[in-house]
Amino acid sequence: MSIKEIIKQFEPEQHNLLHILHALQDANPANYITGEALEETARHLGITKSSVYGVARYYTMFSLEPRGKYIIRVCASPVCELLRANEIIALLEEELKVKTGETTADGMFTLELSECLGQCQEAPSMMINDKVYNSLDRGRIREVLKSYRG
Amino acid sequence: MKQITITIDNQKINATEGANLLQVAKDHDIAIPHLCYHKKLSPTGACRLCIVKIEGQRGMVASCAVHVSDGMKVTAFDEELEEARKYLLDYLLSEHNEEYDGTYHDEFRELIYKYGLNNKENRRFPSIWKELGYPADETSPVLAYDAAKCIRCFRCIKGCDEVQGKNVLSFTNRGILSYIIGGFDKWGESECDGCGECIQLCPTGAIVEKPHRESINIENGIKKVRSTCPYCGVGCQLELWVQDGKVVRSNGVEGVSPNDGRLCVKGRFGYDYVSHPDRLTTPLIKKDGKFAEASWDEALDLVARKFGEIKEKYGRKSLAGYASAKTTNEDNYLFMKLVRLVFGNNNVDYCTRLCHASTVTAMLRSLGDGAGSNSIEDYETSDCMLVTGNNMIETHPVTATFVKYAAQRHDAKIIIIDPKWTPLVKDAHIWLQPRLGSDVALLNGMIRVIVKEDLIDREFIEKRVEDGMEAYEALKALVEKYTPEYTEEITGVPAELMQEAARIYAKAERPLIATGMGYSQQVTGTHNVFCLINMMLITGQIGREGAGLNPPRGQNNVQGVSDVGASPFTYPGYISVEDEENRRKVAKVWGVDPDELDGEKGLSTVEIMQAAYDGGIRGMYIMGENPMLTDPNLNHTEEAIKKLEFLVVQDIFHTETTPYADVILPATAFAESEGTYVNSDRRVLRVRKAVDPPGESRQDWEIVAEIARRMGKPLGNYRHESDIWDEIAKTAPIFAGISYDRLEQHGIQWPCPDKGHPGTATLFEERFNTPNGLGKLHPVDYAEQSERASEEYPLILNTGRILYQYHSSTMSRRNKALTDFANDAYVLVHPTDASKFGIADRQKVKIISRRGEIENISVNVSEEVLPGELFMPFHYSEAPVNRLTRDELDPYSKIAPFKLSAVRIEA
Ligand code: SF4
Ligand code: SF4
Ligand code: FES
Ligand code: FES
Repeated sequence: MSIKEIIKQFEPEQHNLLHILHALQDANPANYITGEALEETARHLGITKSSVYGVARYYTMFSLEPRGKYIIRVCASPVCELLRANEIIALLEEELKVKTGETTADGMFTLELSECLGQCQEAPSMMINDKVYNSLDRGRIREVLKSYRG
Repeated sequence: MKQITITIDNQKINATEGANLLQVAKDHDIAIPHLCYHKKLSPTGACRLCIVKIEGQRGMVASCAVHVSDGMKVTAFDEELEEARKYLLDYLLSEHNEEYDGTYHDEFRELIYKYGLNNKENRRFPSIWKELGYPADETSPVLAYDAAKCIRCFRCIKGCDEVQGKNVLSFTNRGILSYIIGGFDKWGESECDGCGECIQLCPTGAIVEKPHRESINIENGIKKVRSTCPYCGVGCQLELWVQDGKVVRSNGVEGVSPNDGRLCVKGRFGYDYVSHPDRLTTPLIKKDGKFAEASWDEALDLVARKFGEIKEKYGRKSLAGYASAKTTNEDNYLFMKLVRLVFGNNNVDYCTRLCHASTVTAMLRSLGDGAGSNSIEDYETSDCMLVTGNNMIETHPVTATFVKYAAQRHDAKIIIIDPKWTPLVKDAHIWLQPRLGSDVALLNGMIRVIVKEDLIDREFIEKRVEDGMEAYEALKALVEKYTPEYTEEITGVPAELMQEAARIYAKAERPLIATGMGYSQQVTGTHNVFCLINMMLITGQIGREGAGLNPPRGQNNVQGVSDVGASPFTYPGYISVEDEENRRKVAKVWGVDPDELDGEKGLSTVEIMQAAYDGGIRGMYIMGENPMLTDPNLNHTEEAIKKLEFLVVQDIFHTETTPYADVILPATAFAESEGTYVNSDRRVLRVRKAVDPPGESRQDWEIVAEIARRMGKPLGNYRHESDIWDEIAKTAPIFAGISYDRLEQHGIQWPCPDKGHPGTATLFEERFNTPNGLGKLHPVDYAEQSERASEEYPLILNTGRILYQYHSSTMSRRNKALTDFANDAYVLVHPTDASKFGIADRQKVKIISRRGEIENISVNVSEEVLPGELFMPFHYSEAPVNRLTRDELDPYSKIAPFKLSAVRIEA
């Protein structure tokens, strides 16, 4: 489906903004919302560009940059932070050879920080797309990444 | 509303129940610190500086969020509150870049000084803004935003949304890192149209103006002069900032009508033309086809001699003048006095004949007055606005803010009748898109709906319409054939939409009609407006606050120039030149014999040109008009002008017309002039001199008076513009009570019959201004246009205006800020026509009509027009669209049909 077709599925009402943004991001193989998509969204809903952009930027779940097939989110909230989240991030950066916010050369993974993932009891934790992984250490991380690389 | 008493810091204060506490304090000079609150905006409660204590309530509350109630006891200042404020400021300051370049008024900085925080030792928090990496946005042509100076008060966002109705701004990121954005984080690519409301509202200089930023220094003595905007007929009140003899900024004046601080991009950024190097600075006389500089004496003597000779040789009807909708009432009054007394005829007219003459003619005949019946601010409280042929967001942007406010904030219903899309459609409830030239049929169809569904106001018809129900019956009989089906067939407008529009209008409590050029500039212009008036009268939708008919006037002073009598038909105050009695009255004020005044009406704008062509007019005096771009059928105008034996053009720049002149006289621009304008809601507004004119240029009236004197007929002894005004007030009954001393703080709406009269906000409350006081119905039938699409000319061309340019753009195009936004001519073509005629977007084309052709026009393929129709702005001299238009006139008002020409398009 083209961008226009995706957007046209929704009534031109402002409360559909989040749904449209989700649909657009999900339909994009590079896992992000393009400038053109934002523009079409604004036009379809009859609202200004900044109102679309403000929302798209406000929620960490949306990206305006191309991303990997899999988004790895590490919780950077206080509990995880206490339980060595920083170390996990460093480990991931090392394993993936990227910095936080970047995408691996093969386009497989993007590493991001996030708000609390609601897994505090088994911190530190991370999410890859919709799946949560807890009680992380180097071994566990390697194992998980390998399962994705296949 | 109930009056109550509260106390603030033991001071007793009277207030209106429910008023905003912070505002009440402010109005009584109790300066509670605040940053996010602004009178024009809904309270935000973001800065917390306005905290107070209220007896019976716990802790400190933000006063900007409190509605006052009787007996409320408020503490605004005590040690604890002041300490808390200081803490808050200190905290804000830590995230803030406090550098100050002296180009703007910084409310935040004032508070920092007030609380001694400029002294770093008094601060509790370290400065961290540098580490936060705030972005800046310099992409807009007119403003710059710096997030490091932003305190997130949201005044800008709210101003753009609530005041301007545009909602261009938003914010991104969260918490301490959040900042303001336009568009996708690039202001220059957003929908921002440069009105600058946000700049004027920003309390910290986070948003600043780009023009003159390097040179302005507030602490270095800036003179501030209040005046009136020189562009459109809204009449926005400006505060001009003058530094080193130059206007360097223009702000909207808060708290006065009509604009309450708002401006559009032209009012705010359009003043640079005043100091443009192209200004005419000395008189010029044409010798052997070339202009040579001359002294005033030489030039004026020549003008006086030549006009004298022509009058002598061909008689007193052989001279004519074009007055100017851009210059003051005083200038125009003396100009028309010159034509009547010195030329000795009534051949004086101006561009009104090209824009609203048909509206005015219809209104005069039906209602007795040609001016808008209501106040601009009435739009804000209207519940239904019928906007016909009026692209007000672009042509009257500040009026449009009130219209949008009503629609966006209290669900008022906007009904648009326009063949072309306009930006107001976004806020409209219904958009009727009739084929060009089919408006009479559409309105008759609507009237029939009102008749059939019995939505008329019988009492109103009986009491206030001439011949009451009998006249109504005649209208009813005429509209009978405009069944919804028949109307749809002619207009292309879906019948149900047309019916719904008629119902909404007829049933509304406070409906206003705002009718524009799209209705007036047609051969049937007068008929269109007759139909509007018919509909309005039978539904009784006029004669009270918030209900009536309002044609927003195009140029800054179109209204005033008619009011002061620069018309071939009427003396100042709309009294006929053909009436013996009037002539005697005017002659008395002027101290002349009534027989000296020509009792026969004069020629109108286009008729003057036709007479020049036929040899009836031999000499012409043009003050501040540019007929060689703005007249219809330009090729014909050119031939006519060439035939004149003597032409004087008085202007501030060379124009398309000046090359044809024999003498060019340099005049002053608005910022160099004293006087008054009258805006679209009949408000007489002061224009004040802010800077000296360049070179030897003189104010128009002084030049006019000199010519009269040298022709042996001095016009009077005027030392100051106010002397001229006082004479106007004596001649025109509508102005009788207005004098300069009453105009110091705000304008006054005419009629104002005596000194004690406050002016009139709403016309026709008791009676219409017709001789018998009654309104008059004029049933008119739809007639097919004489100019139609044909095989050879298959498309219909419409013309109009855009936001960033003004009229012939002599002024507007000499402002970088405005040309940065728009500087290129284009023609809008519907996608189906584009493919039918094999034309691509951005391609250059030639457009040809029966009268002429223009080339090299860039195509803009767009759904803003209907298939079969084209649209072009008329501002650009390199694309003179009036080479294509017709001068077949509306028989009543003599207006020309700029809105409809059959053309073809060639690649
Ligand atoms: S830019 Fe100015 S007006 Fe807008 S939020 Fe920042 S400080 Fe307030
Ligand atoms: S709306 Fe008209 S009067 Fe007001 S600033 Fe704009 S051009 Fe000037
Ligand atoms: S002024 Fe009241 S919270 Fe800012
Ligand atoms: S639109 Fe309001 S300032 Fe740009």
